[in-house]
Amino acid sequence: MGQFFYDKQIRRFMNQFVRIFSDMYVEFGKDINGNSVLYRVPCRYADTNRQVAAIMRQNSDNSINAVPAMVVYITKVDYDRARMQEPKFVDNISLRSRANDPLTGNVSSNQGQNFSVNRLMPAPYRLTVNMEIWTSNFDQKLQLWEQISAQFNPDMEIQSTDNYLDWTSLSYILLTGTNWSTRNIPVGSDDPIDVATFTFELPIWITTPAKLLRLGIVQSVVANVYDALGNPSQALIDQTNNLGNRQYFYTNWL
Amino acid sequence: MPRLSLYRENHSNDYKWQDNRIRELYTVGGVGINVHKYLGPKDQGQTTDLTQPQYPNQSVQNIQDLLFMENRDRSYEPNVYDLRGHYTIQDVDYNLQQFGLFVNQDTLYITFHTNDMVTRLGRKIIPGDVFELPHLRDYYPLDENLPAALKKFYVVQEATRASEGYAQTWWSHLWRCKVVPMVDGQEYRDILDQPANKSTDTTLRDMMSNYNINLKINDAVVAQANSDVPNSGYSTNSLYILPTADGISPIIAIPGYLTADGAPPNGLPVTVDTAFPLNPQQGQYVLRTDYVPNRLFRYSGTTWVAIQDVNRANITGANTNTQLGSFINNTATVKLTNGATVPSNQTLSNLLKLTPDKLG
Repeated sequence: MGQFFYDKQIRRFMNQFVRIFSDMYVEFGKDINGNSVLYRVPCRYADTNRQVAAIMRQNSDNSINAVPAMVVYITKVDYDRARMQEPKFVDNISLRSRANDPLTGNVSSNQGQNFSVNRLMPAPYRLTVNMEIWTSNFDQKLQLWEQISAQFNPDMEIQSTDNYLDWTSLSYILLTGTNWSTRNIPVGSDDPIDVATFTFELPIWITTPAKLLRLGIVQSVVANVYDALGNPSQALIDQTNNLGNRQYFYTNWL
Repeated sequence: MPRLSLYRENHSNDYKWQDNRIRELYTVGGVGINVHKYLGPKDQGQTTDLTQPQYPNQSVQNIQDLLFMENRDRSYEPNVYDLRGHYTIQDVDYNLQQFGLFVNQDTLYITFHTNDMVTRLGRKIIPGDVFELPHLRDYYPLDENLPAALKKFYVVQEATRASEGYAQTWWSHLWRCKVVPMVDGQEYRDILDQPANKSTDTTLRDMMSNYNINLKINDAVVAQANSDVPNSGYSTNSLYILPTADGISPIIAIPGYLTADGAPPNGLPVTVDTAFPLNPQQGQYVLRTDYVPNRLFRYSGTTWVAIQDVNRANITGANTNTQLGSFINNTATVKLTNGATVPSNQTLSNLLKLTPDKLG
């Protein structure tokens, strides 16, 4: 029987990864008043299929590529054996949720459903992601480089969700390598776009779905209660009590 | 009798006769090419950087950046020069790189009649001049609402005498330009900022560059990322705590890494203020915004007990709670004792160059 689960775990990390490099600017010279002309640098995932790429280009080879720009792409996803922990470990957490207002759909201040959540030990992976800076001149590259490189000291935290129960959502980004340029020195008859590459690693966790259970709350305790009348040894053989084969039930309403 | 020789040390009548025939050949059989003439780097105003000098006159001989040896802010003449050129048309293939589609083999070698070029342009074509090839205009873009046809721009990478341009006199008649597709970069803003046609405000960049669609893609990804993680840390808003201590309201917040957002447990009402209320009720919550970071208190009946210090922060916008907000996205200003106001965000190299105190 086929089972399906998919929680967009890597996809969500990549969304956040793109977000890190979004909203960065470079200076495009000065305007007539001597003020800096700032230019927002777009960042997006690199791989495009041919149809999407053609759509982005108006299906015309006359369209032109804009620089500077930043692109990111995954180069490797490896199992991280060094971070492996007890694979069969199941973590249990009990929680009470706030009730949902049936009229508004918002959570209220009252108690709602109560749950137990079983979480199976996630699998450790190491995600390697490249981020490329595409620039048309050296000054642009230095502007972007300076803004980015100062922030990974020594790393940067990244979250894929803000769910309190998602113990796989928190990771960190390590800057592990850089490739300064795709150009040769001296510059020959190469492409007018220069590409610099940052290589990052993210130790992440890939998890199975959790197991949700109704929270079992103890409502009553049933136990054997023996009355030995202060003498257990005697009570064992006493025909009246006969504790070896009789039980006394005491309830608080008697 | 002198030796029979076609070579002359100067431009002879033979040269001129051949040159006129070649000019005629280019006029009759060549393709029209619009040349955007490079004028020199734009004036960037007064500067203290000696490697990026301000020149008294704009000239094609000026170099903008003497350290990195590049001209970034290029000025192009608004008038367009019509030249006749010749090149071999070739098939091209798309190459799907990380950046999207590139056109492979889209490097052209275009030859011009040298004297005709100098007569019309005033100089030889140099690297950085931009060509528009009118016969490659695309009248059928995917978006049929675009206000004009998509033009085809190339930028000159190399310019030399063409080997096929030497005639029997050993004098050169042709100028060969190696051109590659132009990019939407800082260097070509002068050209791409022009309107696509006279009846629209849409610029050539808006129409031809993938910049805007890249921004839209970027914005969509950020919006999704913002939906997944609106603030740093973890939300506990959907969780409930039994008020076991006094049955009124919880005396603790749910613990965890970056879970404090200032909201009281169970979504109970909170008073946001810079002081405690005068007649509080037992179990009442107050978020004191005069604390940095903001602090949530609960009134126990006798004491205001600190419940949590806010440590969740908006990730994208400017704020003062995080180092991102206070060092990078810092838009604050500082009012000095002399009355001057300076930005709080200062580069280290310029810290000692603040406006000096007014004397007297």
